[in-house]
Amino acid sequence: MSSTRGWTLRETLIVTVLGAVFAVLYLGWVQVWLIAQAIFGPVTMDVVMGFWFIASIVAAAIIRKPGVAFAAEVLTAAVQILLGSPAGLLLLVTGAVQGAGAEVVFAATRWRNYSLPVLLTAGIGAAIFSFIYTWIRFDYGALQPGILIAMFILRCLSGALLGGWLGHLIVEALYRTGALAGLAIDHAKRSAIA
Amino acid sequence: MQSDPQSHRTGFAAEWHEVTVQYPFATRQVVGPVSIAVRPGERVLLLGPSGSGKSTLLLTLTGLVSNSIPATVSGDICLFGVNVGTRQPWAWAAQVAQYFQDADQTLCGMRVEDEIAFALENRALPPKHIADRVMEAMQRVGVPESWRKRPTSTLSGGERQLVALAATLVQNAPLFVADEPTAHLAPQAADRLHALLTEHDPHRSVLIVDHRLEGLIQHIDRMVVLGRDGTILAEGHPRTIFRDERDLLASEGIWCPVATMLDAQLEHAGIAPPAAPLSVEEALSHVDPALSSREDVDRAIPAVKAFVAEYAVRSAPTALGAPVLAELVKADCAPFLGPTILRNIDLAIHQGEILGIFGANGAGKSTLGLCLSGLLPLKAGSRTGAPGGYAFQRPENQFTVGTVRDEILDALPEQVAARDKAEHVASALATWGLSGLENRHPFELSQGQKRRLALATLTVSDRWPVLVLDEPTAGLDALGVSTLMREMQALQGRGHAIAVITHDMDLALRLCPRSIVVGEGGILADGPTQELMSDTALLRRAGLAEPSCAIALQWLHRVASC
Amino acid sequence: MLKALNPLSKLLVCIVGLVASVLVFDARFQVVLIVVTGFTLVALNRTSPLLLLALMVPFCLFGLGFLTTSLLFRQDSDFATRMAGEALLSSHAFSAGLTLFLRAVACGMISVFFALTTDPAALVRALMVHARLPPRIGYSLFAAMLLVPDLASEAQQMRIARAMKTGRRIRRVPGPAEIMSLVIPMLAFAIRRAGRTALALEARGLSPVGPRTVLNAPSFRRSDAIFIIAALSVIALCGAAAFSDIGGVLSLPLVGHEEPA
Ligand SMILES: Nc1ncnc2c1ncn2[C@@H]1O[C@H](COP(=O)(O)OP(=O)(O)OP(=O)(O)O)[C@@H](O)[C@H]1O
Ligand SMILES: Nc1ncnc2c1ncn2[C@@H]1O[C@H](COP(=O)(O)OP(=O)(O)OP(=O)(O)O)[C@@H](O)[C@H]1O
Ligand SMILES: [Mg+2]
Ligand SMILES: [Mg+2]
Repeated sequence: MSSTRGWTLRETLIVTVLGAVFAVLYLGWVQVWLIAQAIFGPVTMDVVMGFWFIASIVAAAIIRKPGVAFAAEVLTAAVQILLGSPAGLLLLVTGAVQGAGAEVVFAATRWRNYSLPVLLTAGIGAAIFSFIYTWIRFDYGALQPGILIAMFILRCLSGALLGGWLGHLIVEALYRTGALAGLAIDHAKRSAIA
Repeated sequence: MQSDPQSHRTGFAAEWHEVTVQYPFATRQVVGPVSIAVRPGERVLLLGPSGSGKSTLLLTLTGLVSNSIPATVSGDICLFGVNVGTRQPWAWAAQVAQYFQDADQTLCGMRVEDEIAFALENRALPPKHIADRVMEAMQRVGVPESWRKRPTSTLSGGERQLVALAATLVQNAPLFVADEPTAHLAPQAADRLHALLTEHDPHRSVLIVDHRLEGLIQHIDRMVVLGRDGTILAEGHPRTIFRDERDLLASEGIWCPVATMLDAQLEHAGIAPPAAPLSVEEALSHVDPALSSREDVDRAIPAVKAFVAEYAVRSAPTALGAPVLAELVKADCAPFLGPTILRNIDLAIHQGEILGIFGANGAGKSTLGLCLSGLLPLKAGSRTGAPGGYAFQRPENQFTVGTVRDEILDALPEQVAARDKAEHVASALATWGLSGLENRHPFELSQGQKRRLALATLTVSDRWPVLVLDEPTAGLDALGVSTLMREMQALQGRGHAIAVITHDMDLALRLCPRSIVVGEGGILADGPTQELMSDTALLRRAGLAEPSCAIALQWLHRVASC
Repeated sequence: MLKALNPLSKLLVCIVGLVASVLVFDARFQVVLIVVTGFTLVALNRTSPLLLLALMVPFCLFGLGFLTTSLLFRQDSDFATRMAGEALLSSHAFSAGLTLFLRAVACGMISVFFALTTDPAALVRALMVHARLPPRIGYSLFAAMLLVPDLASEAQQMRIARAMKTGRRIRRVPGPAEIMSLVIPMLAFAIRRAGRTALALEARGLSPVGPRTVLNAPSFRRSDAIFIIAALSVIALCGAAAFSDIGGVLSLPLVGHEEPA
């Protein structure tokens, strides 16, 4: 692990590669969302939203450097556009907003703390940012306050669980495969034991 | 860029001085302290048992270990008189061309022509010049034009190795470093590449790690032998080492050239060659039946016979009428997402049989093996028999869980009791020389350790009646291969059927009573291994070579006819 | 011949096409986009129409989601159409849903057009030469793009190894549970491969500074200019026709749904 803030080539490659794999997973999740939406109605979006924050959380928890969360989410959006997501180019903006939401939380710990509570908070951060963004885009002000609050709470929960907690599980599982050897997370974990 | 002017001042192309390496959180050093120096134009071979730190040592050369792979390195490493640490690893690419142990580690996953041109592009050479050099490298290494646009991930193991070698040779760097460059090449291709890699050139130094010595060792100026603890055991000219340190090398499980054994036999008979021989021809040149005295020749005969007997088929031939355990009938085989490459294959493997499978690189051996074990669906035709086990050509493909111990546990059948399982694991680890590594991640092992682990998962239980081993000896030291032979013969004794895909003709001759040769989209020959090996036309057609003992056999024939 | 065009000119046209498809909320416009793009592919790139249809299946499924939501949730039609951002144009939920459906297919068609006619290596090279993309970023993106097709064969290897250990036969198409269980190994594979590629790139001298040659970088030719002018005119004409037909009412540039990122 390099202790500098700049990314090594390996880290750059890992972020892009994670972006590519998560783009595929995100597109799969869109199908899940659509099916759920057809059954449960439009609020489903808030329930499933958290999964779309996961790339930034996983990448950040592995690499632990400034900018990783943001870049991972934007890259995932870019790859999705390349893979043909029908959401179009605005996906980049969405990705940037969500990535920024997670990044802000990591920045608040000065990119030092990546424990589960921080990951959960990062998920909520992304949820709040994305909520503000959709508020502006879709003029949520016109909705009933009750629905709005419900939507907000659902989205934050989703961000914490599907984003933060699931992200944490994925990172732990990845760690057990040994693929993360030599990365920041490996260093942190082994020093914690030693 | 041909040679760094500084090399003339300090005299060394590469130099390790009192170097030690320790991986993070490991309890002991893997290397060192080691001091090695490579002079300009010198060709040095680094030899040592599996896990002795050879690959690690090579990775420290341009600073990849410690810069990109975390480890603590102490001591001085200099390239052409410049301390390595003063530059980033990428800045050495013009001086040092590196072929890593695994072709996949050397390649970046691009198309073949991009892959070969990549290093030259990085040096900002003019496009026309790059195109010419790429063409030249492809011709020299033997990469066909038709591969240019193919992504390297669709090539077979050996084909990938060829491309990776072309991509490093094209750099034409004053120091060429190669870690087991021919492990997956068919005999003829391996010979050609060995000659190419070790071409004498006063402006080019070569540092090679290899377990496969035939055809290479003659071109080596000096060798350095590492021991299990990562320190230097012996150093000097191959001729002196292989004669003087023969017993030490054998006890450490390090490969010696085949001729060394003949040398020992002749010495025993009191007719040792004047200089330690590196090839069988050399070993017998002083007892040429046409030139030497009859007395000398007569004394040599029992020694040569004993040597040849070492290479005779050792395992019992299959009992006549033994039941068929797996059979392909009129099968068409295609690699996953690839075109059909083998057509109309009829092949049966019997209880208690060890079957050899040979062929040129890309002939379709791995594909055939996967089909034979029932793991790859056929394009046409049918397979009968129970599903088999398969040892992948890339040992990494075998690994599905996180630690060495779990990997073996996972391969045990479910009905084994929990207490017995621990015992099985411990004995498998001991057999394969992996004790002490049980908590490690399989991917962090050395290449030979990975191979042994993969083989251990297959041989630890009796659950697969049919086993297919795809190039099981690639990357193994002599000790590993003798373990493999023992295990295979034990499985054979218990009635398993084993097919072994290999480029090692000597091993095949000892193990396999029957063999097939794959090529030209089908099975070229099927019969007793000894017969196939004496059919020179067939061997040439299939890119194979005679086993090392062939020369000794011919010598015996000539003696008999004199 | 579409393959011979500069990837950047195709990228430009495709981006304009995607933007137009998002902005012009009109079913007919989308249909024209789909037909023109599809026809160009079949006529000029000799893409088999069957392949094209097969590639459109996921986009149709995706689009169908919008259609069914707007049909099934009529009572919410206020919400749904507002979400669709085109309440001004049509209060009819179905036509909004239909347009969304067609838009999904149109965007899919444009993306497929780009994917089928462009070699990712050529795109990265073009970006490095004409857009000064730093080589380290360029090759990182390149590695990511090369990885996606290899995931399939790697997953297959993994399935073989597992089938061997569990003793169960491999199904031709993996079920949902099996796909889920492959996610972590595939991520691990991707990360390993990234590390390995980084080492390989570095060992062969990919430097963050200094000049480097880019071989086979696509150049701009006259055919690129013709292609860009022709394609943009077609899009502009269709767009103008759609607008004038609507009667000058600007469709709001709001997107129909919240897109996941
Ligand atoms: N990244 C790593 N982290 C920790 N330990 C490692 C790592 N790579 C290798 N090792 C260990 O260091 C030792 C030396 O490994 P190395 O790969 O250098 O051996 P080698 O001599 O090349 O063996 P082989 O002939 O099998 O390739 C081995 O015991 C191996 O398990
Ligand atoms: N996905 C693919 N697409 C196209 N061709 C492929 C693909 N996979 C393999 N091939 C080709 O199939 C042939 C057979 O491959 P296979 O791995 O069976 O060869 P092999 O005999 O095992 O070679 P080696 O000795 O090099 O391991 C090779 O020529 C290879 O180039
Ligand atoms: Mg090694
Ligand atoms: Mg093979």
